[in-house]
Amino acid sequence: MDRECVSALPRVCEVLAASGGSLPDDTSLEKLLDWFTELSEAGVSLLEACPCLLGFVSAVVSNDAASEPSVLSFTLKLTGLLAASEDGFKVLQDSVLDRVFDFRHWQAAGLWEDPCIRIGWIQGLRTMLQHSQALDFFVQADFTEPLLQLQTDTSLFVASAASQTLAHVLLLCQSVPSPEGRHRETIPVETDGKYSAVVAGFCDYLKKSLVPKEASQLHGSQQVLKLLAKLLTRAGPPLRDRLLLTVSDPLEELVTTNYSQLTLPLMDVILAAHSCGGGERVARLLSVMLSARNPADLVHAAAAFLRSSHPDPDNRARSAGVLLLPLDVITGLALLGADSSADQHRSSVMEQLRRKTSCVSMICISLTNVPQVTSTAPDCLPCSPAEIVSAVLSVLRLCSGDSPSSSPGCAEVLRNVTGSGRVQKCALDALSALSSSSGVKVLLVEVFTLLIQYLNSPASDPSVIQKSYQVLVKWVDVCADLSDVTEQLREDLVQVVRKRVCDVRWEVRDSTVEFLGHLAAAPASLASDKEKARNALECLPGGRCATVPLLQEALQDPEGYVRASSVSALALTLAPSWQQGAAPPQQEAEIVTRLLEILSQDTQGFSRRAVIRFFVAWISSCSSPSSCSLLTQSIPSILSRGSADLDWEVKVHTLELAELLLDRASESRRHPYAVTPDRTSTHARAVESDPVSMLNSLVDQGVFSALLSGLVDCDRPVGLKACQLLIRLRDTVCPLLLGDQDVSDALVSGSRASCELPGCGWAREVRRILGTATAPRNVHGADGLGPEDRGEEEEEEPAVRVGVCDALRRLRLDERLAVLAQSSDHVHNSPLSLLQDILTVSRTKTHLDSQLGQEVIVDCY
Amino acid sequence: MKLYCLSGHPTLPCNVLKFKSTTIMLDCGLDTTSVLNFLPLPLVHSPRLSKLPGWVSKDGTINLEKELKECAGRVFVDSQPEFCLPERELLDLSTIDVILISNYHCMMALPYITEHTGFTGTVYATEPTLQIGRLLMEELVNFMERVPKAQSATCWKNKEIQRLLPGSLKDAVDVWTWKRCYSLQEVNSALSKVQLVGYSQKVELFGAVQVSPLSSGYSLGSSNWIIQSHHEKVSYVSGSSLLTTHPQPMDQSSLKNSDVLILTGLTQIPTANPDGMLGEFCSNLAMTIRAGGNVLVPCYSSGVIYDLLECLYQFIESANLGTTPFYFISPVANSSLEFSQIFAEWLCHNKQTKVYLPEPPFPHAELIQTNKLKHYPSIHGDFSSEFRQPCVVFTGHPSLRFGDVVHFMELWGKSSLNTIIFTEPDFSYLDALAPYQPLSMKCVYCPIDTRLNFHQVSKLLKEVQPLHVVCPEQYTQPPVSQSHRSDLMLELQPPPMPYRRCSVLNLPFRRRYERVYILPELANSLVPSEVKPGISVATVSAVLHSKDNKHTLQSVPKPPPAPSSKKRKRMIEEPPVVLAPKSLLSGAVPLEGFLATLQKHGITEVKVEETPDGHILHLQAQDTLIQLEEDGTHILCDNNEPLRTTLRDLVLRFLQKL
Repeated sequence: MDRECVSALPRVCEVLAASGGSLPDDTSLEKLLDWFTELSEAGVSLLEACPCLLGFVSAVVSNDAASEPSVLSFTLKLTGLLAASEDGFKVLQDSVLDRVFDFRHWQAAGLWEDPCIRIGWIQGLRTMLQHSQALDFFVQADFTEPLLQLQTDTSLFVASAASQTLAHVLLLCQSVPSPEGRHRETIPVETDGKYSAVVAGFCDYLKKSLVPKEASQLHGSQQVLKLLAKLLTRAGPPLRDRLLLTVSDPLEELVTTNYSQLTLPLMDVILAAHSCGGGERVARLLSVMLSARNPADLVHAAAAFLRSSHPDPDNRARSAGVLLLPLDVITGLALLGADSSADQHRSSVMEQLRRKTSCVSMICISLTNVPQVTSTAPDCLPCSPAEIVSAVLSVLRLCSGDSPSSSPGCAEVLRNVTGSGRVQKCALDALSALSSSSGVKVLLVEVFTLLIQYLNSPASDPSVIQKSYQVLVKWVDVCADLSDVTEQLREDLVQVVRKRVCDVRWEVRDSTVEFLGHLAAAPASLASDKEKARNALECLPGGRCATVPLLQEALQDPEGYVRASSVSALALTLAPSWQQGAAPPQQEAEIVTRLLEILSQDTQGFSRRAVIRFFVAWISSCSSPSSCSLLTQSIPSILSRGSADLDWEVKVHTLELAELLLDRASESRRHPYAVTPDRTSTHARAVESDPVSMLNSLVDQGVFSALLSGLVDCDRPVGLKACQLLIRLRDTVCPLLLGDQDVSDALVSGSRASCELPGCGWAREVRRILGTATAPRNVHGADGLGPEDRGEEEEEEPAVRVGVCDALRRLRLDERLAVLAQSSDHVHNSPLSLLQDILTVSRTKTHLDSQLGQEVIVDCY
Repeated sequence: MKLYCLSGHPTLPCNVLKFKSTTIMLDCGLDTTSVLNFLPLPLVHSPRLSKLPGWVSKDGTINLEKELKECAGRVFVDSQPEFCLPERELLDLSTIDVILISNYHCMMALPYITEHTGFTGTVYATEPTLQIGRLLMEELVNFMERVPKAQSATCWKNKEIQRLLPGSLKDAVDVWTWKRCYSLQEVNSALSKVQLVGYSQKVELFGAVQVSPLSSGYSLGSSNWIIQSHHEKVSYVSGSSLLTTHPQPMDQSSLKNSDVLILTGLTQIPTANPDGMLGEFCSNLAMTIRAGGNVLVPCYSSGVIYDLLECLYQFIESANLGTTPFYFISPVANSSLEFSQIFAEWLCHNKQTKVYLPEPPFPHAELIQTNKLKHYPSIHGDFSSEFRQPCVVFTGHPSLRFGDVVHFMELWGKSSLNTIIFTEPDFSYLDALAPYQPLSMKCVYCPIDTRLNFHQVSKLLKEVQPLHVVCPEQYTQPPVSQSHRSDLMLELQPPPMPYRRCSVLNLPFRRRYERVYILPELANSLVPSEVKPGISVATVSAVLHSKDNKHTLQSVPKPPPAPSSKKRKRMIEEPPVVLAPKSLLSGAVPLEGFLATLQKHGITEVKVEETPDGHILHLQAQDTLIQLEEDGTHILCDNNEPLRTTLRDLVLRFLQKL
């Protein structure tokens, strides 16, 4: 712990004990406690390191009437923390522990009414209960009763904390750490008299409060069920068995009372009981939950069961039946076969489906859980995944209002789902998830047809269109072989995409452009030319040639998101041609010109970021500089525009581009011990032989300038990234240069790598660090002209030339890295700062009090 | 009250309401779908159309080569197109007192009703309805007269022949009543009978009823009508819209408390959302232009075109269509664009406020200023020299049978780069395109119909709660093509009364009350007596005077001055003119109280028998019956006048006298 903190702490304790009201803000105490927790977790013994804390606790507790409730609450929590270690516990037990946790005392003092005292008490106990002595203390003081009462506290925070603490106590009762604290031993609950009172008290409570007597108690029951579920999943056999024995009757009662709100927590409890071998009785309860409740609760229960991935074939089959029944009813497709157990609910499901709200929610639950249904073993399923896909397609058709349901008496139901965006989205999600099920590929054409119809429909909402595209990509991805999709369908898809890139709604244009990018990235083939590995885009009529102009057009879109998406989609679409070096030069030049325009003129950050990422992708896939000469030419302008951007993300991406160029350059540099990669280009050979020319080439490309400007950037992530890259450059190149030739030689040598620093902007800041601002080493710039010849502004200093290695050594990069690596608020968030704040505020208050003799009221908003 | 239905077309209604001695025609829409059976009228000679083969029946017995031509498997009448008029035999059109027009699309049959029929009444319409209606009629006349056709085909209408004709000609109804277009003179004469009204203005018809137009939100000056007397209210809802487009929003609240609501003019394409269609229109347009093709939009010269231009105004920049020319070609294009800008008071609030800025309410003014939108009266003249492709052309007529659109169909139909986008919902686009087949041009159907859909109308009816709804029969069942869509029909309680062409409906309410005025001096002479707190009653003797459907109670004239003495004797023999009225009784005799009173008077043996109308009391000792009924009491006792009088007085104790 910091020495300054140690010395400040006693005074802080004094201040808190004396006048806890004058705190810098109401989170100070929480921060202080967090700091103590961190310290004790790091193995520091708090009482040894800060002996003043004990004094503080006794002072506050002995003078509780004068203390602020927030300070009292803090003291309770702190005491718990101090007593969490066995040594600390011993020290406190001898002094203040009894008094601190004596809730009757707090009640008598009238402080218990304040929820922050109650929560302090609960959390203090919770923190302390880490060892057997603490548990003994808990049992002896008989804290079970108050803790149970707090379960139904008016404050939800208190009730929740009490519930967690109770679970903690019960779990601790069954496995108390052995006195050595090394391993935990399980204590049989029944036989251990010491703790049996706690368990018995809890069991009584369960019996009383599990079944709600009236509607107002529903929330309480929900809480108890949640607690019970938690305990059942984590408790060992003796406690678990005892709990199960206790709750069997109340659970049975709950299962028969149809409280819809309790379905899910009840199901959690039953599932937890079932997983830990709850026996026949629990199994029976489970089957009641899955078969004998009202249809709306039934689908919830069935969904919960399937999500629990419980390997119980009968119940899985039953749940699948329950979830498929609404789809069966609405589509009229016989998903469930003739004699399904879910069939008994057919008429009541129909009844629910006739009502608009319950219809949509029920169908949505069914659809959302379709993936769980299909993940069930095939022999548990009443129908094949392909039939389920057909049903989902059928629901989608009903939603669009185009087809009548084949189910009798469904006219009213149909009205509820026609045009329902929620059902459409759920069905599309289900369709997406079903794409990977076995045996569904036969439906690819049907899926294609329907999705194209959805994409084409003027009634489709932008989010529905977006999902339709995603589903289409998913199916293309999974099926890969598009031979079954007719030429006509593929033509239809191209037509609809052409139309949608011109849509009035930018969201639709955006998802269309994104879709084109995803298609370009999805592997697919046609039977006719299987030997060629192609992407899905190439399988469409016109292929890439047809879509690139669409994307180029989208680069002009008035909406920034669409421009950004089209840049990304272009990168994905052009990637194959970069790898093959086969892009039409005219088109490539047009695209690069437009992208540079976006980079320098676009008002939206997204599109500029996308442009830099486009070039990063291009450079990564470019095999040799000669194959992408246009790109190589553009690099200096990309780097200079990117690093001068106002958006920090653009700048970071620009630095990533610089990093890539650094990698490329250092890969091709010869190193006696490095494994040299295969190189073919003559350019690479020229660089490898000479680190100086490599540095010069980096300078010429603008990489070095980009790194330097990033280093002094006001955005920390930019500075950090630039600093790391510069250090890497320094560590890899400079020692080599020094090893290769004499330093002084290098300095005077005309061939040394150097770079020009202009007299304005970021360069001025770099020059200040380098100390070249006032005394320029080289008055004349590269062009040999003095400042007066250039006629520049008065403030602008003449450009100077600095040696790269020299600059790298003198920039104090390591120091800078250390500063940049810390978060920007590290000073404000330090414990010392917190302690000082507390002291300052208290001093100011005392000062003002003495000066004015009256309380200063500060309005804080 | 009766409703005569002269048109079965749900959006081109023509109904006649007989209400309180007035005969009111509600709209006179002209069903122009009949023109789809005719060949297009090309503006310049079309070799293709002139070379079409004539039609001869398969067995060769009927030869109508001159009248009927075959094109792409269908048969068309080669003659001046004709329209299907509203029914004219159902009632005598000369008896119509007034015609109420709800919007400019629903008045196109006006000259057929007001001219040569003996009509002497008045037509009521708002100013924009009249002006734009005039434009549409003039345009129609111009389209027809520009391409005169000497021939008038009539042989095919022969019943015996018609039944042997193929396709839609065979099924066409009342072909003998079809008429050629009216002349400009008839238009002027018909429109001279129009009297202008403003929204919520009340117009008295013969003192019997009051009619008043309300904004219906569908088009410039479009209205619904309230027809009411003092105690009855009929609402006539024609094309109405709840969407925010250019016109003033719909006035819904004034439709409340109607006895009968006549509902017509719902959207013709209930499954198409106008916003979605507008989006579809824009994207198809942009797609075609980007690919280097032309776009043809067959449309009326007023109405949705304003919204289309406004939408495009916003869209062209974002879709990089700034350099594409837009042409609007119609004989009335200029007037239509300019009229729209001057009817500020009929526009939605947003557009009204622009007038004070001052800015033109519609952005098409800016499109014209910046030369992006150009308008021409026809393809001849200036247009042909300035025409640049690729371009977008808005022109009529949406039936594709006459007007400049015929020329563009011939010009652009052969290239698959071009697109025709249908936005008017009045014609089936496949039928409209039939005489141009085979066609390479792309066709897109984006019908934009902003009128109420079934969802909106059921909400509206829930809100205004009319007692009875009358509507075209088409609205009482789902559309034939989508019989599973039970949401595309009206479901009301009580069910709506459907009508079809030639129906005569007895509207289901009886007139119960009339308002009667009382003259002050007569009122002064009344002596009211209070029967309940706040309610007083008086008897009146007066003379009822009825004139112009107004009823007034006047004092009874004093007897004439005494005649000459000679006749005096006879006078005395006659009863006086006015008898002093007997006092009237009111109230009810309470059984218990009456029995108690009887007992007080020594009548104890009373047997009470309950009857459907009241009670019969049998006074056994006196052998007397008293029948107590709601509106009368009878005392039956034989020859015991004192007892009867006593009993009568006892009964009277419980009643009030006036």
